[in-house]
Amino acid sequence: MKTGMLKISPGFEDIMPEEYRELVDNGPYGKNYGIGDLGSFKELLEEHPLCAGCGLALSLRLTLASLPMPEETVIVGSTGCSALAFPQVALHNIHSLFGNQNAVATGVKRALKLRFPDKEKDVVVIAGDGATADIGLDMVMQSWLRRENITTIMLDNEAYANTGGQESGMSMPGTVLNMAPTGKKFPKLSLPEIAHTSGCDYVAAVSPAKPKQLAKAVRRAILVARKIGPTYVQIFSPCPTNYKLNPKETVSVIRQREKDGLYQTKEFISEEAQAFLNTVEEKK
Amino acid sequence: MYLSARVDKEKCIGCRLCITSCPEPNVFKFLPEEKLVEVNDSRCKACGLCTTVCPKDALKIS
Repeated sequence: MKTGMLKISPGFEDIMPEEYRELVDNGPYGKNYGIGDLGSFKELLEEHPLCAGCGLALSLRLTLASLPMPEETVIVGSTGCSALAFPQVALHNIHSLFGNQNAVATGVKRALKLRFPDKEKDVVVIAGDGATADIGLDMVMQSWLRRENITTIMLDNEAYANTGGQESGMSMPGTVLNMAPTGKKFPKLSLPEIAHTSGCDYVAAVSPAKPKQLAKAVRRAILVARKIGPTYVQIFSPCPTNYKLNPKETVSVIRQREKDGLYQTKEFISEEAQAFLNTVEEKK
Repeated sequence: MYLSARVDKEKCIGCRLCITSCPEPNVFKFLPEEKLVEVNDSRCKACGLCTTVCPKDALKIS
């Protein structure tokens, strides 16, 4: 997407909404902003309908702010809470069927490669834990096994939060939710390890409690996916509504879980990806 | 009058931790000259996440 495409004919400028004009004047396209610059530019996300204190909204906001080239990025989403925020994102985005997101992203990436052979186009999948780990695990794993150059980002809120609170494969054992009254009986799926053994070149598990680490992981994942192979980032983002937390506790819950050893940040980098990242990060 | 985060301008040191802990976009604006943050109260949902990360207790929900 060229920045010029956003601009509206001069005659209509005064009737466009204020948010739109801010995006044209002060948007992040083509400027290489990171999360350190948040607060000084107009963000890609606009007022969304997600709950107050939503960890997923925070993760999504930080993820969008750390994209290396927002103007050349296409995001593919799937059903879930994150899909509610997608219409408010000022990027090309596609909403796919529940669980189909990586198959759709594969097609998009291949088509973009044919259409723009000399341009870098990033295809980033942003979906919830239900779409990635439960319903769409088939499509997600197949895309890793085929070594498609796409980044998969999972916003892990440990439940099907959008439909009233059912347990998902990513919930902790013993979790009791509105629609899971007997408690979960089996352990949390460790998708980072699965991604690592399925051939992902860069795998990370991060949380919004450490925004800089999150931004670094997202940036690295996208850079590796451009040149080398599939990448996966898992972002732990607690849900205050279904887990009955006070909205202001979202970040402290992550810190508490980390202290108790129930959540760990992880990073797996293949040798090839490490060599590539060394050359890219040296240039800076 | 809706609830919103308010900044105590005397206590704020401009560390910008609140900006990266807010789930709502474009709520906090950083003023580089005064080294302060400003809240856009029409976009704030008053969740209070910023008050828990502020090291100087400069933010309050009211």
